[in-house]
Amino acid sequence: MTEKKTPLLDELETGKWPSFVTEIKRAAVKSEAAGELLQVLEKSYVQRRGHWKHGGIVGVRGYGGGVIGRYVDEPQNFPNIAEFHTVRLLQPSGWFYNTKALRTVCDIWEKYGSGLTNMHGSTGDIILLGCKTEHIQPIFDEFSEAGFDLGGSGSCLRTPNCCVGPGRCEHACYDTLEACYNVTNEFMDELHRPMWPYKSKIKFSGCANDCTSSIARSDCSVIGTWRDTLRIDQDAVKEYVANKFDVQGIVCDKCPTKCLTFNAETQELSVVGEDCTRCMHCINMMPKAIAPGKEKGATILIGGKSTIVQSAFMSWVIVPFMKMESEDDFAEFKDLMRRIWEWWDEFGKSRERIGETIYRLGMTKFLKGIEVEPVPQMVFRPRANPYVFWNQDDLDRSGTALDGSKL
Amino acid sequence: MAILDQGPPHYKKMLPPIVQENYGQWKYHEIPSPGVLKHVAESGAALYSVRVGSPRLVSVDFVRDLCVIADDYCDGFLRFTTRNNVEFLVSDEAKLQPLLDHLDSKGYCVGGTGASVSNIVHTQGWVHCHTPATDASGVVKAVMDDLYEYFNTMKLPAKLKMGLACCLNMCGAAHCSDIAIVGVHRTPPRINHDIIRKGTEIPSLVASCPTGAIRPDPKNKSVIVNEDKCMYCGNCYTMSPAMEIYDPKNDGIAILIGGKTSNARTAPSFSRMVIPFLPNTAPRWPETTEAIRKIVELWIANARQGERVGEWVERIGWEKFFSMAELPFSDMLIDDYIFSRETFRTSAQFKF
Amino acid sequence: MARGPADPVVKAKVLEYLGKVQKAKSRDVAVAIGASKSDVDNAVKELTAEDLVEYLYITTTFICLKGKVQTPD
Ligand code: HEM
Ligand code: HEM
Ligand code: HEM
Ligand code: HEM
Ligand code: SF4
Ligand code: SF4
Ligand code: SF4
Ligand code: SF4
Repeated sequence: MTEKKTPLLDELETGKWPSFVTEIKRAAVKSEAAGELLQVLEKSYVQRRGHWKHGGIVGVRGYGGGVIGRYVDEPQNFPNIAEFHTVRLLQPSGWFYNTKALRTVCDIWEKYGSGLTNMHGSTGDIILLGCKTEHIQPIFDEFSEAGFDLGGSGSCLRTPNCCVGPGRCEHACYDTLEACYNVTNEFMDELHRPMWPYKSKIKFSGCANDCTSSIARSDCSVIGTWRDTLRIDQDAVKEYVANKFDVQGIVCDKCPTKCLTFNAETQELSVVGEDCTRCMHCINMMPKAIAPGKEKGATILIGGKSTIVQSAFMSWVIVPFMKMESEDDFAEFKDLMRRIWEWWDEFGKSRERIGETIYRLGMTKFLKGIEVEPVPQMVFRPRANPYVFWNQDDLDRSGTALDGSKL
Repeated sequence: MAILDQGPPHYKKMLPPIVQENYGQWKYHEIPSPGVLKHVAESGAALYSVRVGSPRLVSVDFVRDLCVIADDYCDGFLRFTTRNNVEFLVSDEAKLQPLLDHLDSKGYCVGGTGASVSNIVHTQGWVHCHTPATDASGVVKAVMDDLYEYFNTMKLPAKLKMGLACCLNMCGAAHCSDIAIVGVHRTPPRINHDIIRKGTEIPSLVASCPTGAIRPDPKNKSVIVNEDKCMYCGNCYTMSPAMEIYDPKNDGIAILIGGKTSNARTAPSFSRMVIPFLPNTAPRWPETTEAIRKIVELWIANARQGERVGEWVERIGWEKFFSMAELPFSDMLIDDYIFSRETFRTSAQFKF
Repeated sequence: MARGPADPVVKAKVLEYLGKVQKAKSRDVAVAIGASKSDVDNAVKELTAEDLVEYLYITTTFICLKGKVQTPD
């Protein structure tokens, strides 16, 4: 291939932040496809528009997803990227790697693909950018041999992911790494064989800091919490005070429920446990002195999704507290997910995320469908209108005859 | 024959010994210097994580370079973060300073911890997607170059988490970011009738539109778009390249601010639009970098310690924010979509 | 999805139905052939492994006979 100039992209090789242009050029040394990608991208920079088309079927035998078809719109000018598909690989929980595994990914990908990758995609997968249709099956076969598997795409369970959790975080209220691994393996059919109205995502965060942004980015958010009272180590509090840390100003004054009291004289910090909403602020500020309670688990929230079509939703509470002990294999959680997906699969319209289905049909129908009892934790506040749709059961239970007797 | 459904590699094989030994036994952490986290376990063991910025779109040789560093300083272990940073996991304190020196000599960017701006979560853009209204990697590069002084220091009032989505599909979930950069199309698709006649499946095309804006036009053997209904989402272009959604003159960027996903102090919240449109001035998007810098500097100058962007704006009031930021307010910033009413001020309390 | 081997009768009906259409959602196939959705999903799982049926992802996932819907060029 003759050297072509890319003056606009070259601009993006200056500056302190690492440059993706430099990376594409590095890949282009070995891959003609990466070289042509650079040319097309320069063209986009000149014309201020994209040059990619969505694809039809590209996949591996036995799976319904994991590869996304991608075609350049001028194949005659860019033959090496006429087909330039994306491969998604399931990442290890928490994105921990040993270098042997990472090098394996690099070697296989360099052999067949453009040598360009995203570490990682926004759903969590390892994203391998750019390969030909004929290489998809060999790529999968070789990754499979090396212990890797494809991630989700299409109307399926998308690749779940999790925060670093007990791997390195003192806040973790359950084992996010194991939960993610266990649940991903349990739902291999749902992940690899798209069968639903639309996509569905699960993200596991170990505490209310929600480092995976699960509440905004997943249909099911599993957020670690505790049911008793947070623990305060008074000696450690005194150490913070000795180091001129402003306990009153930085911690107590900013507690949203005003349930923390600092006694400047005794230098003791106390909490009204039943008022604390477990927002994590005080723990974040004083990790040496304050820790979550002992009775730990997770809050399950449903419905998060982005704007198309009904507006963005954040997930809302369905189960205020569920134990998430790995010993019982997360059985209760998996059982709940099955009921939820079954309900959505039955009532959801095509391309409707579960949050939209619930919004369209009502929480009442949803809760009955998945056999979950309503509790006040599910809402910020109860309804302000009296438009209750009564059903016969409720009428039978609450109606009274004119003589005052129960019906 | 490939093995089906074997699932992800087991994470336990990927954990450095110090993590395996202290799994779930971490006691506290501190940030000795920008970009360095020190996690201490109940056992007294200390793990240092050195956070390095990545462009996310990288070559395999970039990953191999990381492997060499991890082999030299971290017994061959590293991890990536939700925001696509790299973390070198150092269990031997003696190797920390040499690692930092090495990273510095090779030009790696160490930072992104505590009250700093971290890597911008972003999408594919012109590099690899079919519906982008702007590029992703290029805008991110331009903004991060500009804000770099806040990446490798911790002098902001609080964390600054940014997101970029190059179209409404928002693969990157930008909508709950302190500052969100969103690519916007502003015109309905132009229809290339020839391509449609050549074999587009019209019922599927009609069905692809989430707002029902597309109608069949049997006389023309093509379709018609009801422009009042179209929200420029590009779904129809996914179905057929005849529906040209890209529009170089009118595509560009909107800025939304004040979102967060953490529950700390205040509930998670959506970002809100403050600038409806900025042009796609490739390759460095000066209008966008400048607008963002202004907002960041205003926040630095006025927020209380620990206040995220949204917490600060909610405290002073959005009306106050617009006057302080000298940003024009317009009808485009008033919601007219499904859940608009909850944003209207149903109160006589406000600031002038 | 139902576990265990798929019902050969359902598999045959799925193939027959897909022969009559371009592509379909598996829910619609289930309604059309009068089988349960999970039985259809299970049949499709086997049919794709046998290379007779494939998945098609255009804004949502459909199924179709292998090779019936061409990729655009
Ligand atoms: C209607 C909604 C959506 C559509 C039509 C859509 C479509 C696409 C397409 C076509 C690609 C391929 C880009 C490429 O690699 O060439 C893609 C990539 C991707 N999408 Fe989406 N997407 C949607 C929503 C989302 C959401 C909400 C998320 C995540 C939270 C997401 C996560 C991803 C990820 C992780 C990738 C891989 C590339 C990347 O990380 O940028 N998508 N999406
Ligand atoms: C206040 C502003 C906004 C907020 C807080 C917000 C929030 C979100 C969230 C949390 C998601 C879920 C991401 C995921 O599933 O991973 C999302 C997805 C998405 N957003 Fe936004 N968003 C906002 C504005 C917009 C705007 C203005 C558009 C388009 C005009 C848009 C289009 C989308 C689309 C298409 C998706 C993906 C749809 C899907 O996955 O079903 N968003 N958004
Ligand atoms: C269970 C629901 C409600 C009941 C039983 C109820 C009952 C009443 C009654 C008995 C009156 C006095 C009528 C009169 O002066 O002759 C009244 C007045 C009024 N109610 Fe309600 N109401 C209900 C809900 C609401 C709601 C939801 C609203 C507004 C959102 C509302 C707004 C008013 C107003 C504005 C008046 C007129 C007050 C005035 O002109 O002095 N009510 N309501
Ligand atoms: C939960 C349901 C309802 C509530 C809370 C409600 C409440 C009220 C209230 C507060 C008023 C003003 C009373 C006043 O001026 O003293 C009112 C007036 C009235 N309501 Fe309702 N109402 C309800 C349902 C209905 C229904 C179902 C109808 C008719 C089918 C109806 C017809 C009227 C009429 C005709 C007036 C008088 C309007 C006027 O004076 O301009 N209301 N209602
Ligand atoms: S979500 Fe909580 S437990 Fe998980 S990494 Fe973040 S702070 Fe730690
Ligand atoms: S966790 Fe939040 S609500 Fe509970 S005491 Fe701490 S700051 Fe207050
Ligand atoms: S946000 Fe839109 S343009 Fe960007 S990668 Fe996702 S679907 Fe493509
Ligand atoms: S851009 Fe979206 S809303 Fe507009 S016609 Fe196409 S599919 Fe419909």
